[in-house]
Amino acid sequence: MTEGDFRHAYIIMEQEEGKLLQVSLEMLAEARRLLDEFNKKYSSKEKVVAILLGQNIKQITKTLILHGADTVVYVDSPELRYVRNTIYTKVISQIAQDKEVAMQIEPEYATRFKKPRYMFFAADSIGRHLSATVMAQLESGLASDINRLVIGDIQMTHQSKTGGKPVTYEKTLEMYRPDFSGFLWTTILCLDNLNPAMAKDFHPQSCSIIPGVFEPLQPDPNRQGKDVEFIPKYDVEDLRVRVIDRKIIKSEIDFDSHKAIVSFGRGIKDSPEQNIKIIEDLASELDAEIGITLPLSKRPFTINQAMDSTYLIPDRVIGTSGSKVSPKLYIAAGISGAMQHIVGMKDSEFIIAINPDENAPIKNECDLFIKGRMEDIIPLLIEEIRKQKQVVQA
Amino acid sequence: MSSINIAVIVKLEPDFSEGNVSYNPDGTLNRAETKNILGPHSAIAANAAFYSKVKYGAKISVATMGPPMADSILQQAQQICDADDLYLYSDRIFAGADTLATAEVLKSGILKMQEKIDMVFSGHRASDGETGQTGPQTAWKLGMTFLGNVIDYDVNVQNRTVRAKRLIRIQGVYDVLEEVEAPLPVFIAIDPSYKSSFNTVSQRLAYEKYQKEAFQKAQNHKQFLKVFNATDIGADPKMVGIVGSPTIVYKVERIPKGKATRQAEVIDGTNQDDIRKVVAKLRQSLATMVIK
Repeated sequence: MTEGDFRHAYIIMEQEEGKLLQVSLEMLAEARRLLDEFNKKYSSKEKVVAILLGQNIKQITKTLILHGADTVVYVDSPELRYVRNTIYTKVISQIAQDKEVAMQIEPEYATRFKKPRYMFFAADSIGRHLSATVMAQLESGLASDINRLVIGDIQMTHQSKTGGKPVTYEKTLEMYRPDFSGFLWTTILCLDNLNPAMAKDFHPQSCSIIPGVFEPLQPDPNRQGKDVEFIPKYDVEDLRVRVIDRKIIKSEIDFDSHKAIVSFGRGIKDSPEQNIKIIEDLASELDAEIGITLPLSKRPFTINQAMDSTYLIPDRVIGTSGSKVSPKLYIAAGISGAMQHIVGMKDSEFIIAINPDENAPIKNECDLFIKGRMEDIIPLLIEEIRKQKQVVQA
Repeated sequence: MSSINIAVIVKLEPDFSEGNVSYNPDGTLNRAETKNILGPHSAIAANAAFYSKVKYGAKISVATMGPPMADSILQQAQQICDADDLYLYSDRIFAGADTLATAEVLKSGILKMQEKIDMVFSGHRASDGETGQTGPQTAWKLGMTFLGNVIDYDVNVQNRTVRAKRLIRIQGVYDVLEEVEAPLPVFIAIDPSYKSSFNTVSQRLAYEKYQKEAFQKAQNHKQFLKVFNATDIGADPKMVGIVGSPTIVYKVERIPKGKATRQAEVIDGTNQDDIRKVVAKLRQSLATMVIK
């Protein structure tokens, strides 16, 4: 195991029926930024490699190059039209260990190439499971739901990893993961075991990236890159899952078609049922959809079943683990303003926060901050809205 | 012999319900003060397995990796799914495991179960770690077909196949309801929106019978419990615990407060005039200007 065995960043693209998902371009942009810095700092020429699987996808390889990829390795096959875990995991793992592919990417690094240095997936319904099984196959580590990445040389002494001796891990990917509360950042590293008693490589260092966090690059028509077609090997056994039917469905919660959204967080806690009731009333006055913060989707309150299954559900979550919204009016009631929520609502045109605590982070993210408890404020708002409506009607 | 043999893997998690969960003043979880319970997603997995008990008379085993006190969650799961065997994999060398090393233990444990397992159920993700990786990684190590985001399933016991409905959220595009068929064995990560329903009278009777049975079994859960260490399940010490874990937590820090993106006007919520002003602005923000 030497450092030269691992090269490049392999980024797993996602597409649906030949149409790229936005998160694919977001991951490419971040990989481009990281590798540009990396190559400058370490005087190397490691590449951003987009891995694209699907059917009739050849025409999108060009888009990936314009958006930051150096090489696109693609497999175009009817068997890959829909993501099926077994076959996708096998094909991606083969590409990741293929020397001929490595030769096409960068001949100078190809002879010693064993596996990618870094690997990125999307933290969504598809990438979340795929990243897990690919890493089980490649026997390496994975950090999920990342929103910040840094490459650095890290000095560390670790009982198990380094046998208690100080070691510098070069070119280490620091993977920042916001915890469920949105207030804590955990940095996860994927490190080789250098302790001679149990030496083992753990490459690629890999992660899944939260959609919507990074900005895609503007397409650059002057960017040059290369397509590589890969022909995978697989058995009939790998195609055990048969897709019988596939229906497109719309979520019952439709944030986009409402001008206003009223969201609530843990601030409802003193009397959850009554507070949800007044939020319903306010939303109905404004013809608003109702959103929640992530902790509420964990059903922290004992409330009646109907309310629980209507409101405290993942579909209503606004933030990095849910929807990104940008209504004309956003009312945040009893929401402290964890970063993971802010990301989902900061593009709203006008934001009103209702919160008793003037030090809550939400104050920095709103246009009007109404200091007070929602149980006191919302009924006043409703009453006033009704009054003003009547004036208009009269 | 049962028609199908099922394993459910579950996890001990902090109880996020109000009154049990404790937060530090800075909004982070106070782990020392927060109780531990059977994770809610694990409970849904147990519930999904119980469906096969009622419908096909499946034999169910529940397994977890954890400290000795984690047997309480096996008991909670047994009460949901009427499990015949409870397995606790507990060993000091399992400590510090990330998802890959946890999956290794669960795989070794499942392979050591008395029966050859046809189906494994896991939760969608844990409420605390939230990675959702352990399920698919265990599946891969077992060489089982992995089906994630499953909201509904049925088994054709005769043909040894499973039909499942999966809810796939394709970010920024649409949601897809996909129906798939796969031969056993399969590993199912169950979606939080899973609900089992029993349509016939005989199913409802079976449901009641097994529920009673589950309750009685859980009263004496220790009778069904086996506690296994690494040697018992034949786990490779190099593949488990901190040694078998590629990843480490390097640091934990508070996410720095972002710079104020907006200058908020602070309103006194007790002042009627101020409330009037708020509503005026609110209405203004909603009014679409139409210039003809």
